[in-house]
Amino acid sequence: MPVNGDVLLLEQPRTQQTQQTQRTRNTYAQPKVARLRLKRALRAVLLPVGAFLPVFLLGTFVTYLMGVLSGLSPAHLQLGEAATPQAVARIQHEWGLDRPFLVQYLTWFGALLQGDLGRSWYNGHSVSALLAARAAISLSVAGLALLIGVSCGFILGVTAALLQTSWVDRAITAFTSLISVMPSFVVGIALVALFAVTLGLLPAAGYVPIDEGLWGWLSHLLLPAVALSFDTTSEMARQLRVGLIAAYRENYVTGALLRGLSDRRIFFVHVLRNAIGPALTLLGMKFPHLLGGAVVTEAVFGLAGYGKFASESALRGDVPAVQGVLVVSVVMVVVFNMLVNLLLNRIIPSAAGAAHRGA
Amino acid sequence: MLKQLLQLRSARLALGLLALVLLLALVGPLVSPYPPLAGSPEILAHPSAKHLLGTDYLGRDVLSRLLSGSPVSVRAAVQVALIALFVGALPGVLSVYLGSVVEWLTLRFVDTLIALPFLLFAVSMTALLGNGITQAMVSVGILLAPANYRVSRAAALSVARSQYVEAAMLSGATLSWIVRKHVWSKVLPPIAITLASTLGHGLVVVASLTFLGIGVRPPEPTWGGILASDLGYLSYRPYAPLFPTCLIMSTVWACNLLADAIRDVSGESGRLLLERVASPTARAAQPPRQP
Repeated sequence: MPVNGDVLLLEQPRTQQTQQTQRTRNTYAQPKVARLRLKRALRAVLLPVGAFLPVFLLGTFVTYLMGVLSGLSPAHLQLGEAATPQAVARIQHEWGLDRPFLVQYLTWFGALLQGDLGRSWYNGHSVSALLAARAAISLSVAGLALLIGVSCGFILGVTAALLQTSWVDRAITAFTSLISVMPSFVVGIALVALFAVTLGLLPAAGYVPIDEGLWGWLSHLLLPAVALSFDTTSEMARQLRVGLIAAYRENYVTGALLRGLSDRRIFFVHVLRNAIGPALTLLGMKFPHLLGGAVVTEAVFGLAGYGKFASESALRGDVPAVQGVLVVSVVMVVVFNMLVNLLLNRIIPSAAGAAHRGA
Repeated sequence: MLKQLLQLRSARLALGLLALVLLLALVGPLVSPYPPLAGSPEILAHPSAKHLLGTDYLGRDVLSRLLSGSPVSVRAAVQVALIALFVGALPGVLSVYLGSVVEWLTLRFVDTLIALPFLLFAVSMTALLGNGITQAMVSVGILLAPANYRVSRAAALSVARSQYVEAAMLSGATLSWIVRKHVWSKVLPPIAITLASTLGHGLVVVASLTFLGIGVRPPEPTWGGILASDLGYLSYRPYAPLFPTCLIMSTVWACNLLADAIRDVSGESGRLLLERVASPTARAAQPPRQP
């Protein structure tokens, strides 16, 4: 479909030119086609960047502002009760905190663009290094939760839509609306009580690196990932069900039926492709919740990931560490949404424009 | 409109439940059988006539803790919803009237707020700004504001550009009459729907924060905090998390039920309103607004 659209668009100027000037056809038409292609490609790349640049700039600015508004200083962390005004001023100067706000912000932002998130006030380590050490845990939990959420949501949504108005559909709808109101810490505690304490099947807490065996790694991540995925599962299933039912009512489905196409072909080629757009857009909007929800699941399951790092650093008053973790999460959200957009662009070119305006 | 709402069974059920929760929050501390912080030698006791819901790991009576924790939990959720309403709805309505610069700025700001990892920011903001209940309310309220912004903006847009408002202006109606007759009845239902669902959402977020010991510090009882103290002793009392969970979830469920009931009664589809804001083509198709 997209290929046809391309050819149609690009053929028009060429036929006009053949009528007007036969001579210059070969020398003129080719660059024009190339230019149109380039324009399309540029649009596909620049539009999402334009949509997410404000989010990135504002998000990082809000993060920085939060640290400043807190009024905290490394002096309180390092000196404690023994702080004299002179000592506080010396430490403020050491960390460059006596400079004007804008200078501090621009320095911080410039370093940020180079991947340097500053040093922790608590122990002086580089925040980037601290975060890199925790990335494996956080990303594997979030990634696994995304995988579970998308696949379960997909299966539930498609089943409900195909068996529409049957008891299966009603059961799935009831189930998804039930799990959508369950907070992730409640789900986490229920899973621990059931699978770890009562049945003793899976470990209740902790983490084992993947080098020490795949099952050990997976068994520690399974419960937190399931707890985190419920929200994505229910939203994905609901959105997909609505989208599929709407797509099945379209005229092109009737047309395909009349042409004698198989059910499978109609589902995969005609219906699914058109129904999946809103579900994918939703996925982009759900990703922040997945990252944020980790704060609670990591506390329930005793995982030392970004969520725990953020809450512990914030309680300690370690401003650079908190800013670092928040900036990294904002960047992950932006990157993930851009990936979703590229995917949407491939599947349904016409919907892509609307999608990142909505995001 | 209120009469219609009360005819719905689901609305009566939701309002009844919410009234019950409110009652719990108002008189809970007065009727609690034991002081919420007083320990006793009977630790991790099962439910009995003496301790109706058992005791926790310090021998504190769970029922008393739940009752005494209710005011903080409920009041926090209500305050969050009100802050979200104020911070979201006011710019939402103003963005329609104050020109394209304000419109663009507030829209970008709301886009950013929606894209932020919600709980991560709520936890960090609260803890950095001093880890008190007020800080928690303000940060969660601001982070929940976008929904209110979008809904009130959509409602204001649809009213400001409608022909019957124009007709009323042309026939010489005063502004206050128009607001009372047309605007109020149009803007109120979607805002009431959002307020009800924000209330439920706010309750969950506050419970999550207190579960982490943020906003309200541990010895003081809250619904989320009680859950956290149950977590370490699941092998002794595996049913313990059920009590605070039931309270939290039935309140949230009542809020959602109420939101749905208001939506049914007002014939207002919240989703449709959101789409109208999101799609610029629909905005362009509207006739230019009258000052």
